[in-house]
Amino acid sequence: MFKRFITLAVLMTALTGCVSLNSVSLTQVPAERSNEISATSSSWTFLGIAFSNDFVDEAILDLKSQCAGGKVEGILTKFQHTVFIPVVIREVVATGYCHKG
Amino acid sequence: MRWTALLVLALTAGCARLDHVQIGSIDQSQGELVPVSVRLSETGFDATAAAEIGRVASRGRTAENFKQLRDILALINMGPRTGNPVFDDAYAQRLQEYLLVECPSGRLTGIRAIREAKTAGPVSGEIVGVDAYCIR
Repeated sequence: MFKRFITLAVLMTALTGCVSLNSVSLTQVPAERSNEISATSSSWTFLGIAFSNDFVDEAILDLKSQCAGGKVEGILTKFQHTVFIPVVIREVVATGYCHKG
Repeated sequence: MRWTALLVLALTAGCARLDHVQIGSIDQSQGELVPVSVRLSETGFDATAAAEIGRVASRGRTAENFKQLRDILALINMGPRTGNPVFDDAYAQRLQEYLLVECPSGRLTGIRAIREAKTAGPVSGEIVGVDAYCIR
């Protein structure tokens, strides 16, 4: 009985992903919105203990590469945490509109 | 128990905390982009955490006193805030000035405003940073 309870507790804890949104920002949205692009960068941590925030840079480099020579506007940036005890995933999700020419 | 708590504290010293990220519009059509970066920081101090360390590291009457101090500090510092309290609330005031030193033309794009911290127990470096591209 006790073993079943422990197994169930472990499964419930491991399979539950609790998301919390830390910050959101949006830049000026352009009239031309046909080409939507998105970039995500994430960092996995044990118990939320992180030693660097450099993963943020990956998102902007990805956005840049998806719109080489153009303009990315209307960028919605979300910074969120997803918790799968004991792992905490920190994630930056950026979505914008690429306009070339 | 108290040695475990102190060990955890030692292991987590030098941790990075991220509070806010904002990515601005990126214009790659105006010319070569040169990365620029400005970071401003101020020492933050969590007195409640310091009192808690005192409680864990001591015994008997002293531990009880630390516990009471911790509770009082927690109550008087209650409320929403980002990071630890700092000693100078204008430390990020000259951010734009430093940014213009890095990019004299003032033609900036892809501005990332970041609020983060490096923590070591109750002490932290509360950081406001801006990374951007200077159009040259």
